Amino acid sequence: MTQEKILVIDDEKATLKMFRLFLDVYGFDILTAESGEEGLEVFDREKPDIVLTDIKMPGMDGIEVLQQIKKRSPATEVIVITGHGDMDLAIQALNLDAADFINKPIQRQSLEQGLARAKERLKLAKSRQNEVSVVRQGQALVIEIQGSVSSHSEPYLREAYSKAQEAGVQRIVLHFDPNTSVNGAGIAILTQLVLESEKDGVEIVMAGLSENFRKVFGIVGLTRMVQIFDSLDEACA
Amino acid sequence: MKPYARISLKNKIFISILAVILMISVTIALLARWILISGLTKELELRGIAVAHSIAERGGGFVLDKNYSELLSLIFEEARLRERQHMINYIFVLDRSEKVLSHTFTVPFPGPLSTANPVLEGNMHSVRLVAVGAQTSYDIAVSMNEGLYRIGTVHVGLSKEHIDKLVAKLRFMFLGFISAVIIIIFYVSHRISRYITSPISRLTNISDELSRGNFDVHLDLGEGLDWAVTNCPAYKDTNMPCWHFDEQGRKSRKSEGKTGQVCSTCLFYRKRGGDEVIQLADSFMSMVWSIRLYRKRLQESEMKYRSLFDSGPDPIFVVDCNTDLILDANPRAEELYEYSKGELLGVSFMVLGHDQVRECLTSLNDAVTNSGCVYYPKVLHYKKGERPFYVNMHACPISYGGTHAMIVAVTDITEMMEKDAQLVQAAKMKTLGEMSAGIAHEINQPLNAIKMGSEYLNLLIEQNREVTETQIRDMATEISQQVDRATDIINNLRAFGKKSGLVMERVDMNEPIRGVLSIIGRQFSIQRITIRLELGEDLPYIKGHNNRLQQVFFNLLNNARDAIQEKMESEPGMWGDILVRTYAREGRVFASFADNGPGIADSVRNKIFEPFFTTKQTGKGMGLGLAITYGIVRDYGGTITIDSQPGQGTTFTLSFPSVENHQALEHNATRVDKKTEQPSETSQ
Repeated sequence: MTQEKILVIDDEKATLKMFRLFLDVYGFDILTAESGEEGLEVFDREKPDIVLTDIKMPGMDGIEVLQQIKKRSPATEVIVITGHGDMDLAIQALNLDAADFINKPIQRQSLEQGLARAKERLKLAKSRQNEVSVVRQGQALVIEIQGSVSSHSEPYLREAYSKAQEAGVQRIVLHFDPNTSVNGAGIAILTQLVLESEKDGVEIVMAGLSENFRKVFGIVGLTRMVQIFDSLDEACA
Repeated sequence: MKPYARISLKNKIFISILAVILMISVTIALLARWILISGLTKELELRGIAVAHSIAERGGGFVLDKNYSELLSLIFEEARLRERQHMINYIFVLDRSEKVLSHTFTVPFPGPLSTANPVLEGNMHSVRLVAVGAQTSYDIAVSMNEGLYRIGTVHVGLSKEHIDKLVAKLRFMFLGFISAVIIIIFYVSHRISRYITSPISRLTNISDELSRGNFDVHLDLGEGLDWAVTNCPAYKDTNMPCWHFDEQGRKSRKSEGKTGQVCSTCLFYRKRGGDEVIQLADSFMSMVWSIRLYRKRLQESEMKYRSLFDSGPDPIFVVDCNTDLILDANPRAEELYEYSKGELLGVSFMVLGHDQVRECLTSLNDAVTNSGCVYYPKVLHYKKGERPFYVNMHACPISYGGTHAMIVAVTDITEMMEKDAQLVQAAKMKTLGEMSAGIAHEINQPLNAIKMGSEYLNLLIEQNREVTETQIRDMATEISQQVDRATDIINNLRAFGKKSGLVMERVDMNEPIRGVLSIIGRQFSIQRITIRLELGEDLPYIKGHNNRLQQVFFNLLNNARDAIQEKMESEPGMWGDILVRTYAREGRVFASFADNGPGIADSVRNKIFEPFFTTKQTGKGMGLGLAITYGIVRDYGGTITIDSQPGQGTTFTLSFPSVENHQALEHNATRVDKKTEQPSETSQ
């Protein structure tokens, strides 16, 4: 198996050193850069699949790096590293199509998960699988979601939603694959769906959402409108 | 001349006049005697000569005819003619051979007489004093001629007694006259001297009385003057100056440009017509009036200042400059220092202020010679029981009761300083809040590295990978370094947040700058602001508090950042640049902060140090930052100058006296904060 190329951009040497050690263990081909500018240079040269970038950096900051990378190669998985609990920045990054975010200080688990999700998504993107599918499970209709929920996902989601309406169920379960990434546009679409479902008298619940996105949904207020369950079974019950 | 100087003026005048008159009289007498007596004698002699000639003319014939009886009757006739008989003692006629032809003696002719006074050949006559019996006579001899021949000699004897009698009579009359004149002059001069001196002695008596402070003495100087000082409007109204007398008032009136109030006619000031004595009396009276007026004013003024002294809200001391003893103290001083007045008086001022006061006194003593007041801010004083508190001291030299003293006014500033410290502390806490984002980011970095390091070790262990010793040491070192880094930041924060003591310490200006940068430097660079440091090496120390200086520098940097960010809004993509320089020059240490922000408009430049003045958006700043900055800088004897080019940027330059210079300043007692070994009031 070819090693995925991963680029880490952080102005902290110590952090870079740790990343190198870690990612080596995870089996990545590691590139590092100490500033946004250098990061872009390396990106242009090496075309890594995944980019990990700190947001707060002197000079070109992570947000700008994100924008630049997304401009050059929208398919690249950009994971932003945010200061502890700085969700505003995380959401800002998500709006700019960041795939995920990791909080500093970096927990191994979240790093592993984040990387794993990114890998999964990359795989999905490569196999070009349908990201949204609808399955009937008991009284509920389950919409399975994988990969990235973004503006591209809207038609699929709408289609799935109308299917669910046709099926005449009272409850729609949005079941996210643990690797799913939801960006700003995705959140907007989901919010839209939830609001519509309320009007249509259908209950939407969610399940399988990764910890990170639960937090984000919490902040944007989605969790106040929909119930979120840990597993699909609980959601369908 | 000494005895003369001691006698009274009256006697001087009297004696002088008398002496002069006597001298003149004596001179006149001598002159008169000489003129009168010699004149009289001459005249009598001429009369004798005339008689002798007349006899020689008329008797010539009788001598030739030898008609001696006729000759005799002639000479008797001549001798007895009316009053001539008293004057002429004798007449006799001699022939050529000196034989007596006839004579008027009733006694036999004294023989030697005929040759006693010969008329020499060629002479018409001869005069000589001769004694005839008991009598002395002027013998006048005239030759008797017939044609060219001398036929005899006529001798007329003038009575010397008669002449003397006449002279004596004349002398008596003359002396009598002079004596009369002297007596009159004596009387007149006595009167004159009394006239001149009696008002003077009266004035002397009065001024003696006045000197003794008896202003109610009866001023018997002029007639018809109703003399009551209380009638003067200037006496009743102390604010009304009396321009008639007060030259000083006139000057100040001129300088103040006031026209002043002038009585159209002064009740007291007048010049009567008259001689100098009267004018002197008038003038003296005006003087006495003026003295009474101003003495009353002085009393009032003294009462006024006494009441100021007593009722002043701040303690005031009068301190002897030589012995440092307290000569006087007002009630407020007793209250504040908690000593009773009895305890304060006569006690050394050192008791209240210890060493600081000694320093102050010494430098004041120096300053006193230059005269002028000295101001000592923030001096430590002690209440009864050695309880310290801070005061501002203001000392001015005065002469008090003939001794070299100073007035020391003291303001208790403990409360003010506490409030000050609280304000500074509050501002610092606010600053800390503003810094928190930067701090969080700054601490997050090492934390992140530590976290990742430990997680990595865990990972290795979980995966049962082989961990080499080098790896572990590497990791341990890295973690340790990161912990140190975090500790540094926290220490810096703690130092910053600590309430500074009142005691100033020696500070290297670069230290607080580095301290601030360690907290906020990264944050600034994240915000696209580069801070360039050009820190001078081996800067002299300044006196201050490290953390307050940090606050000052933080405020300035923070303002620079805000300004730059404001400019960034209109010019996205620009890079902020702040150049921080430190250098020493001319005994001062400078720190300049030059930003490339929008600059400060001239219109607000003067206001930026005012409290609650802010150009920032509502909610972003209280407008206290620079005011507090300024307060702190001023406390350290520093200055702030602003150089700003609108559109180009702003440079704040701070300067502080270096420690050596600071001490020099203290010595000169200009702008001082004196603290070396004092108890720090607070430290957390």
